[in-house]
Amino acid sequence: MSNSIPFNLDPPGTYIYTGEMATKGYKLTRFGLSLRRPDNREKFLADEDAYMRGAGLSDEEIALVKARDWTGLLQAGGHLQAMLKVAATLGQNLWHIGAHNAEMEVEELMRLCPRKVNALPGGEE
Amino acid sequence: MAKIIGGFAISHTPSMGMEYDKGMANGFSPHWQPWFDGTRPMKEWLAKMKPDRMVIVYNDHLNHFDFDAYPTLAIGIAPEFRQADEGWGLRPFPSLVGDVDLGWHLTNKLVRDGGFDLTVCQDLAIDHGIYSWMPYLKDTPWDTPIVPIAINMVRHPIPTSQRLYNFGKSIRAAIESFPSDERILVVATGGMSHQISGARFGIANEKLDRYFLSKLKSYVQELVDLPQEELMRLGGTEAAELAIWFAMRGALTDNIDEVYSYYTFPAITGCGVIAFEEKG
Repeated sequence: MSNSIPFNLDPPGTYIYTGEMATKGYKLTRFGLSLRRPDNREKFLADEDAYMRGAGLSDEEIALVKARDWTGLLQAGGHLQAMLKVAATLGQNLWHIGAHNAEMEVEELMRLCPRKVNALPGGEE
Repeated sequence: MAKIIGGFAISHTPSMGMEYDKGMANGFSPHWQPWFDGTRPMKEWLAKMKPDRMVIVYNDHLNHFDFDAYPTLAIGIAPEFRQADEGWGLRPFPSLVGDVDLGWHLTNKLVRDGGFDLTVCQDLAIDHGIYSWMPYLKDTPWDTPIVPIAINMVRHPIPTSQRLYNFGKSIRAAIESFPSDERILVVATGGMSHQISGARFGIANEKLDRYFLSKLKSYVQELVDLPQEELMRLGGTEAAELAIWFAMRGALTDNIDEVYSYYTFPAITGCGVIAFEEKG
């Protein structure tokens, strides 16, 4: 993926979090938000599989987390703010999610940011 | 009756908070030093204004609420508001001080007269939506009680810009019927341009952000009339949070001075602040 930024709201550039996504990813999001609690973070780190099975995640969802497939997790309806808590618990951060989404190395994305564009309403159609 | 003496709007990001803690301990990074410097005049202005209360319209980022029940509009009414653990532990700051009387008054007026059916939260943990910028502007112990109002910005549908502008007008009416001589600031926080997921991660539209800042005082309706999708298309999905700023602007009259404005783009979020004072 180059540094060109499309001026539209379509995937894979943008994932809009709709009600449909919230329904699809309800358990994934709930799992991520459970990691707001320090005791749950410890339990998850101690045994990822057991914790995720306990949270009711499907095999597919567990595989996405195990692969740190942040893009796949967003596509599966995991809310970014909830997946960010999963990343943080695993020692990663927002840049790792962004880099995965943009198909870049973290260092490359950090070097490119801020990814400057210049357009006012009605522009760059 | 209580009086609105002005208002301000300011961006928020988790990194703004983390960089404050690092910066105060070891000096600010070159990316964040401008924001620290640029908020010094705001801190001085706030100290000069000495508001008795601040009504703060912000957004939660799934740090207090979750999707079992995610309110579109919610008000915090409690003596204090603890800091939310966002998944990486708490920062070294005390709970924010609340004002129960003003909170209930606003709720009564907004629900019964204003047509805004708020979810009332008697326990509300507050995230970087307020905690990230507050230390730049206020020292601890916090001495200005707040009433926080949370707007859903994490799952569509989000409230329309016109709705939030109207919400601000109703906030004004509610404050002006509060039986006290308190001097109140209305605050909004969110935005500016940023997108933190998808391949457009990191989009930075300084031109859009400066356009927004330049129009907020005298041409706010032009901004309100912009489709939110247009703000998102040009400034990133999270630029929709700029709609929160209309709640602050709507709470002010047109008889205002713009007393300060500053903008910089430290990393992945356009960071702006703008302050208005009522002339009346």
